[in-house]
Amino acid sequence: MTWLDSTVHRAMIEAALVGVLGGVVGVFVIARRLPFFTMALTHGTFPGIVVAALLGVDLYLGGGVFGLLVVLAVVVFSRARGQDFTAATGIALSGGFALGVVLVSAQDGFSKDLTAYTVGDVLAVSTSDLVITAVVAVVVLVVMAALGKELLLVAFDREGAAAVGLPTAVLDFALLAIIEVTVVATVPALGAILTVALLVGPAATARLITDRLALLFPIAAAVGVSCALAGVWVSTQWNIAAGASIALFCGSAFGAAFVASVVRGRLRSTVDVPVAVTVPEEAPA
Amino acid sequence: MTQQQDRTAALVLEQASVAYGHVPVLEELHGTVRSGEAVALIGPNGAGKSTLIKAILGLVPTVRGRIEVLGVTPAQARRDVAYVPQADTLDPDFPVSVEQVVMMGRYRKIGWLRRPSAADRALAAEALERVGLSDRAKNRFGTLSGGQRQRVLLARAIAAQPRLLLLDEPFNGVDAVSQHALLEAIALLKQQGAAVVVSTHDLAIAHLACDEVCLLNRHQFGFGPTDEVLTPERLRATYGGHALELRGDRVIVTQT
Amino acid sequence: MSLFEPFQLPFMARALVELVILGVLAGTVGVLVLLRRLAFVSDTLTHTVFPGVVIGYLMAGQDGVFWGALAAGAVTAVLLTVLAHRRRVSEDAALAMVLTSLFAIGVVLVSQRTAFTSDLTQFLFGRILTVTQEQLVQTAVVTVLVAALLAVLRRPLMLRTFDPEGAAAAGIRVGLLDLVMNVAVALVVVAAVQAVGTILVIALLIVPAAAARALSDRLVFIVPLACLIGALGGWLGLAASYEASVYHGLRLASGGTVVLVLVVLYGVAALAGAVRRRVGLSRARLGTPELEMTR
Repeated sequence: MTWLDSTVHRAMIEAALVGVLGGVVGVFVIARRLPFFTMALTHGTFPGIVVAALLGVDLYLGGGVFGLLVVLAVVVFSRARGQDFTAATGIALSGGFALGVVLVSAQDGFSKDLTAYTVGDVLAVSTSDLVITAVVAVVVLVVMAALGKELLLVAFDREGAAAVGLPTAVLDFALLAIIEVTVVATVPALGAILTVALLVGPAATARLITDRLALLFPIAAAVGVSCALAGVWVSTQWNIAAGASIALFCGSAFGAAFVASVVRGRLRSTVDVPVAVTVPEEAPA
Repeated sequence: MTQQQDRTAALVLEQASVAYGHVPVLEELHGTVRSGEAVALIGPNGAGKSTLIKAILGLVPTVRGRIEVLGVTPAQARRDVAYVPQADTLDPDFPVSVEQVVMMGRYRKIGWLRRPSAADRALAAEALERVGLSDRAKNRFGTLSGGQRQRVLLARAIAAQPRLLLLDEPFNGVDAVSQHALLEAIALLKQQGAAVVVSTHDLAIAHLACDEVCLLNRHQFGFGPTDEVLTPERLRATYGGHALELRGDRVIVTQT
Repeated sequence: MSLFEPFQLPFMARALVELVILGVLAGTVGVLVLLRRLAFVSDTLTHTVFPGVVIGYLMAGQDGVFWGALAAGAVTAVLLTVLAHRRRVSEDAALAMVLTSLFAIGVVLVSQRTAFTSDLTQFLFGRILTVTQEQLVQTAVVTVLVAALLAVLRRPLMLRTFDPEGAAAAGIRVGLLDLVMNVAVALVVVAAVQAVGTILVIALLIVPAAAARALSDRLVFIVPLACLIGALGGWLGLAASYEASVYHGLRLASGGTVVLVLVVLYGVAALAGAVRRRVGLSRARLGTPELEMTR
């Protein structure tokens, strides 16, 4: 019996992998204001997974293909005049999810899988799932290392990036593809709804902790891994859904960082105020 | 309007300093604008022109000194103050017609539940007439050109019958026809006794439309009659390195 | 497909009434959601109500569900208003965190129960076919409340939506108005979520308004159109799922089918809108050349 035969061990590795992925990719999700889009993506992969299950093909493949369809649908919808990106995302989200629900409902005895899909089940990952997640993590990290500088420039200053001759459309697509692949790899562990916690929480927490770009990625990854591991551990100790406990750790980390930043802001401003007040009192004299 | 009203101070700045949160943006402003007068706020980008307009609206706090609008605090005076935002800050896809936008100027006076009266409609129509866009009343706001949209927003302000009118860069990217219409409408408002505050980086317009100028760049570099304040020395002081002198008496501002 | 016959069954009739009321309610609020770009806010509210539902149920059984949801909706509305306009955290990041955290609390609570899966499934997808008389009344009351609220506030809401700075300049308390708006969305969610499930609520809030907006540029038409499309989607969706289940042996989830019908209606509306605009454009070009010249 190898170390990987233990459900808990596999879950721990899976959690650590998606933690790193979510944290690092999340930095871009935050920078490009894509949390809602990510939400639509997690829901949009649903019908793909159902169809793949019906056809007996690989679930990741099904989810991935449908995710691409969602990307396409959002781009097409938001091109329509008078429709903005948010509304288009909402339509794709509800439409995609509903399609999944209808497909599932047409099958009997599918409702257990439905729950696994919506809230995930990291304790159910198999060794082959682990391999896929690991491959995804390596590929995404390599691509990010290669394109990181360019992706950041596009995120920060689109026109500037275009002006220096970067192919912004290609880079946009690359980013969306990275997010999509990450979503497809994470959804089995955390579920459609809670995946967003891992793709937004650690990066948002890091953003509250530091203003320095170089530190964002390691902090986000560290927060992601810690939340994921802590979540799995708590889940095995008290028998709660692992996806939920991971999401709660992400939420708590974010909440703590948020409160800390507000308090820090207060402290700084109470130091500022007296200084600002004393200046004019001296000035007229 | 009577002579007496003409003399009342519509806007008084008394050593006023304005801050966003705890970051001071404008310091030590001092000056008076009377009813029937127009003042141009002139200064480079980031000088605090928009912030001053917001302070006059009571949306940004005055941390020291005093800003008095129509004899009361900015917040108390809002009923008689109208604000014209830059047209390009508004969503062009918004499903609203030109006449609906102008009618928004009457909202405060109509009240929450009542329908616009015939008098309200007449005022709105008249305001639209004044900016020369009566024929576009039924069009969607977003279908108009930038200059026309700016005129509609001015009509909205006119419909509110303000005693103080605030305009934030109304001439930015506006075509010649619209610029002319805007200037005419502003002149008429002045004649009827309203005070006007307009931020702009166009010195020619300041000369044309305004009686007074307030030179701003974080501090006040001059406040007074246009001819006295718009001097090469003061402009150079306001714009720092971005002012260029031509033949001693003319100044070109290279960056606004 | 028979469009009337299924609704002679009492449970189908109740489902139809519920969906028509909700279609009207969500159509009205949905137009504001669309214009204010609150789609993500609505999505967040639909999910954060979940822990309220669970806690309400644990405390007071079925009767507690409505009040639990209401409390959770109110808490979320306040949280959202507080978290908005922070400089270092963009609003959508904050929304995502509120959504997932509160939803996770609900999942944790519910995962302790034995009927875990069916509880969660019911919340997400609703049981439109088991709507009770009492739920109908709740929905109707909330509809009247929200409609009255929007009618009273329609002018400030319109001004704030179109021109937030101008609204503040006119003395409107924008923060308070935003809170009221969030509460209105929360009320719709609370009224609807138990009967029709989260996914249908979010669809009802977004899709009909977007479809109506594609069809018209004028608010006077957009609001009634959105209500109409919402109600129509409910009717056709219910009829379709009934037809498939009874006559073709294909059990289609009614809530999901309604959403799909709504999305199809949106597609048709978007297409019609595009065609109409193209026709309108070419007509303008042909019919009034001198107008084009002078401008």
